[in-house]
Amino acid sequence: MTSNSEIILKTQSITKSVSLENKQLHLLQGIDLTVYKGETVAIVGSSGSGKTTLLSLLAGLDLPSQGEVYLKNKPLHQLNEEDRSQVRADHVGFIFQQFLLVNSLTALENVMLPAELANNGNAKQEAQALLAQVGLSDRGSHFPSQLSGGEQQRVAIARAFITKPDILFADEPTGNLDKKTSNHIADLLFDLNKHYDTTLVLVTHDLLLAKRCQRSVEMKDGHLVDQSIVQKPLAEQNQEPHQPIINPANA
Amino acid sequence: MSILTANWAKQSFRLFLHELKRGELTIIILAIVLGVASVFSLAGFSGQIKQALINESTSFIAADRILQSSRPLVETEIDSEVDLENDSTADSKVDHLNRIAIDEQSQQLNIVQAEQVLMSSMVFAGDNMQLVELVAVSKNYPLRGELLISESVNDSDEKIAHAPVQGTVFVEEKFLSLLGASVGDDIEIGNAQLVIAGIAKQIPDASFSVFTSGVKVIVNIADLKATNLIQPGSRVTYKYLFAGNSHDIDALDDWVKPKINDAQRWYDIQSKQSPLANALNRAEKYLSLASLLGIILAAVAVAVASRRYGQKHQSSVAVYKAMGASLSHIRKLYALHWASLSLFSIMVGLVFGYMLAQLGLYVIKDYLPIQAIQPGSNSSTLVIFSLKLVPLGFYPFIMAVLTGLVCAVAFSLVPLKQLIATSPLAALRDEKLRDDKQPLLARIGQVLPPIIALFFLLLLFSRSLVLSVSLLLAGILVSALLLIVGRMLMSISRAVGTKSGAAWHLAMANLKRRAAANSVQLVSFTIAIKLLLLIVVIKSALLSEWQAQLPDKAPNLFLVNIANEQAKDVEDFIGQNDIVASDLYAVIRGRLTAINKDEVAKQVSKEQVDGNDNGRQGVGRELNLTWRAQLPKENIIAQGSWWHADSTTPEVSIEESLAERLQIKLGDMLTFQLGSDTIQVPVTSIRTVNWQSMQPNFYMIFSPQVLADFPASFIASLYVPQDKKRLMQQFLANYPTISLIDIDALIEQLRKVIEQVSKAVEFILVLVVLAGCLVLVAQVQASMEEREREIAILRTIGAKGTLLRNSVLFEFIALGAIAGLMASMAMELTVYLLQTNLFNMQTSFHFEFWLLGIVAGAGFVGLVGLLSCWRLINLPSVTLIRRTM
Repeated sequence: MTSNSEIILKTQSITKSVSLENKQLHLLQGIDLTVYKGETVAIVGSSGSGKTTLLSLLAGLDLPSQGEVYLKNKPLHQLNEEDRSQVRADHVGFIFQQFLLVNSLTALENVMLPAELANNGNAKQEAQALLAQVGLSDRGSHFPSQLSGGEQQRVAIARAFITKPDILFADEPTGNLDKKTSNHIADLLFDLNKHYDTTLVLVTHDLLLAKRCQRSVEMKDGHLVDQSIVQKPLAEQNQEPHQPIINPANA
Repeated sequence: MSILTANWAKQSFRLFLHELKRGELTIIILAIVLGVASVFSLAGFSGQIKQALINESTSFIAADRILQSSRPLVETEIDSEVDLENDSTADSKVDHLNRIAIDEQSQQLNIVQAEQVLMSSMVFAGDNMQLVELVAVSKNYPLRGELLISESVNDSDEKIAHAPVQGTVFVEEKFLSLLGASVGDDIEIGNAQLVIAGIAKQIPDASFSVFTSGVKVIVNIADLKATNLIQPGSRVTYKYLFAGNSHDIDALDDWVKPKINDAQRWYDIQSKQSPLANALNRAEKYLSLASLLGIILAAVAVAVASRRYGQKHQSSVAVYKAMGASLSHIRKLYALHWASLSLFSIMVGLVFGYMLAQLGLYVIKDYLPIQAIQPGSNSSTLVIFSLKLVPLGFYPFIMAVLTGLVCAVAFSLVPLKQLIATSPLAALRDEKLRDDKQPLLARIGQVLPPIIALFFLLLLFSRSLVLSVSLLLAGILVSALLLIVGRMLMSISRAVGTKSGAAWHLAMANLKRRAAANSVQLVSFTIAIKLLLLIVVIKSALLSEWQAQLPDKAPNLFLVNIANEQAKDVEDFIGQNDIVASDLYAVIRGRLTAINKDEVAKQVSKEQVDGNDNGRQGVGRELNLTWRAQLPKENIIAQGSWWHADSTTPEVSIEESLAERLQIKLGDMLTFQLGSDTIQVPVTSIRTVNWQSMQPNFYMIFSPQVLADFPASFIASLYVPQDKKRLMQQFLANYPTISLIDIDALIEQLRKVIEQVSKAVEFILVLVVLAGCLVLVAQVQASMEEREREIAILRTIGAKGTLLRNSVLFEFIALGAIAGLMASMAMELTVYLLQTNLFNMQTSFHFEFWLLGIVAGAGFVGLVGLLSCWRLINLPSVTLIRRTM
């Protein structure tokens, strides 16, 4: 990580509190985090430590109670819901633990969705290409209920990359999958990430998954206790030993 | 970019088509379809039924509306002013009816007219003479119903006829026997000589009254002048008959009503105090009420289903938002989605409703000849429709579309608003909508649009503010009560459940845990079951009352004018032949001349024309008085007391409505003029009389001591079976002065009408039951997702299929039984209110229907619940867990 790398995401002492039965409950306190372009960052921590809350603030799904969040230099904390939506449409991709495909749409249509939201006239072709990249070219007309969990998550990953987002947020992307499928999905995620040169912020309590990221930060009781762990230098990470799933020639 | 190629529109249509194919919208579509279809078919069907019934029954007055007057209509407006000046009793209304104006108005409205002039007159045939009721009719008479004429006594070939050709008359059969005349003979009426052209076998507007002077002779109105019968002071009744389609008749109604003066009456079949009118009024109220309840049920189904629609789409909206979809994109997408859904449902509903209405009309076609009048023609043509489709008009179409739109908009407003407002955070967390977390005010705000919509629908359909407001208020009150009682009952069940087996325990625990959701569910179950019970109970009460009104041996003959010395013979004849008969009632004609010290003449002349109701004609002229030792059947003492059988003091009992009209109270001294004698009697009791019982009824009944010595004739009502009629005629041949009035034809007509109404009522019942079932299914469906998760958890911890099945079954059975019990209680209360306020019937209790409510509720809800969950229970655990986690 070099100091002249472009900062894509930055928070300054953000806190998030909710009132519960007249008591203030502090979910997050004083979080400072900076993510550079092209980085892969894992947010780890035990259940209830505030990982997902932090993710929701980073992606502009929610607003901090205090503090500042900048995504691609846009002050999310000052934007209303509508403007934050626009920021997400322009720069953000998502992968959820529950896959969250729209049940009434086919796999292909699910992948097309974000591209259509961005008024991409080529949505269908691009979606078909991405489905091929995740190895589901023959399942495009299937509905989510006709796909296995792993296949659903592959569709979700294809959906996340179709807009070539600047930053991708993944919330426990392998949390609902068995070990073998998990590995497969993780491979796919990191390959595509590299291929599209996307910044990845990943929430997980799976330390093996976290280790595949360049950097891990740990949440504990709403505090960021350690964000200095750097697993590997970028250059080294780019030479992962596994066989890439996607064909680099396509890049 | 045009709307159709915009991304949100493409996505919306894509979503709609997929969801439609995958059956995800079935319940909500069914709800709207049923709402629209039931309104369409109910409006179309009951509209047709009402029209057909009214057509059928208007034959009893031979027209749709009648203007009756003791004087002929003045010809011109100038005449009317002259008339006004000369007439001291006429009121000061300037805008009087006159002939030219009525003719113009009728012509404009496509209404056909006929005229009738009625009076008593002597008729001579050869050496014989007879007092008859002379009916002079214009050539269009009758406008409704049929005048059936045969050419000889034994001729069974009856022809439909109108007014007799000028110079001829139609007579009733007994006229011929009384005067020893036959068809083709000459008779003299006043100064005119006329020929008997036929025998009137059926006269549509023959009176129910047994006191009319008897034999009818129908003449052409054009011959009336030649008879020279109408002289100053003659007692003549003029009737102007009108018929047309209901819309035009209503318009005429509005035009005529304000112009009626005190000497005129304007009425239709329903304002006549006849058994038929009563049955019709109630049937109409029932049909409207059932339709309203059907609409409420359909609306509840839409409300339930649209809530579920909102909940189901929440995660999709969250994903859209997380992916950066703008609010306006989502708003447009779902507005279009909902609009496509609504329009699709409304269209299917219209087609379905049209078929349903046609089917209903087809099923009862044998019972219901649909009569159509052709404006301008001088006959009412009877069109018995076969396989032809009946044109239903625009009304049901408009009503159904309005209902569909109102339901689709008002009931979706809140769920859609909540749906669009779904936070994108819901994509990360399971943040489902929970009503009970919202402040009370917000929740009231949410139910307001549906309530307003429902009120609008009720008002639109019933056109009665009172009925709509009371139905709505009662509904809100009942719902609130049910919510409270329901929660209490479920707490109790939980306590009971812990003491029973595992399945029951689980079932009761589930009920309790979902108390909030369940009490909403319970309320809609209860309302559905209650409305169904209500319709069944009211229907059976109505039918049994109609049946009671026309028991198997309802009197079909009246003997009138039985002389004192003949009374014993008649009684003997009745006794010997086992004939069911009323007692013989003495009839003495007399005039009420004073109430206490007040001369009654003035009061009476005012009363005589007072727009409304019973026996107006009776007072002011002579009344039929009788004396009795015992209180007659179907008479109930409202005030005072009946005299002892051996009482020797003079007393009189007066009928309630007459007492009210003449403001007579207990203890008032009444003066009567009987021939040359004057008697004074105190009022000692006031009676209510069932005027619909087919027996002689009287306004004034005296204690025996008062009238026993006055010369009287007697009257009796009898049931004579067809096989004994000949015997009866033979007997009566020895007593030519006794008049026989045969009302068999009338009774038959009445029976037929009642049968038709019953069929109609049953058809509507089926529709309402369908609507009720859909509410139940929609409601069970609404809880399906939550159940899915629960069943998955139970499965994971090792619950067996039987346990799951039983716990689901028991939960729904318990829910259904509680709903059934509450529905029965609510139904009982509502039936009481309806019977007393809307139908004016005797109230009754219906515990047998409580059992039905509880058993049917438990059975049906249990079954629907189990069936809906069946697939869920039998899914492999892995699939279930994957679906829900």
